[in-house]
Amino acid sequence: MGPVQVLVVGFDEPAFSGEVMAELDRLREAGTVRLLDLLLVERSADGTLETVPFPEGAPTGMGGLAIEILGGPDDDITSAVSVDGSTWSLADAIPHGSTAAVALIEHLWASPLREAIQRAGGTALEETWLDREDVERLERLIGRQDDGRQLS
Amino acid sequence: MVLVPRQLLRSGMTGNVPYYGGRFTPAQAHAAAHPTAARPRPPVPAQGVAAARGPLPAVESPAPATARPDAKAALRHLREAGVLTAEEYAELLTRTDP
Repeated sequence: MGPVQVLVVGFDEPAFSGEVMAELDRLREAGTVRLLDLLLVERSADGTLETVPFPEGAPTGMGGLAIEILGGPDDDITSAVSVDGSTWSLADAIPHGSTAAVALIEHLWASPLREAIQRAGGTALEETWLDREDVERLERLIGRQDDGRQLS
Repeated sequence: MVLVPRQLLRSGMTGNVPYYGGRFTPAQAHAAAHPTAARPRPPVPAQGVAAARGPLPAVESPAPATARPDAKAALRHLREAGVLTAEEYAELLTRTDP
């Protein structure tokens, strides 16, 4: 199985236009990612997290996998509280008084790369995303490179 | 349905990226153990023509690279502040010994 990403997206007012699902379907067909499960969660002002029922027509059992993986019985949480920041939970991610969609997404494309890195004896030392501003800077640099190639 | 969130280990896409909990990473620890010469001070911006003609400000000479007692004190401070573990402190301390 490929690496699985947990994507938590907050909404002021949940609006399920189907656009995001359509894009995930497209990526699935392209063999890029696979949506394993989706869960809607509401956090009350006192911090309690509650699952939100899906609108009619959603696949049966949706959210079950996410609940099993991301949630647990009461007696589990005390022993597993993070002391050094190496762990996280939905409670860290979702602000009080808000609603969020939680997606489990398998990155199908990453498996061959991860295996190649392991076979080469490589170890991941850092893995992060560039900030939007740096991505724009990168785009400009690539544009300049392309312009230079066309001129030469 | 009430959901009690479980604490999960952080991981990366290509593997388990080490998390140092705000402490020194190996690269930072290496840099601390191998101090380089102090960078030159940035130029002082001139304030008018007269200032440009005036004498240049004195430049402090960098601290000698043999300031081992200071390095030890700094390491001890980092250990006491919880930045370095006892093992990391001991390892870095051996590198400061002549």
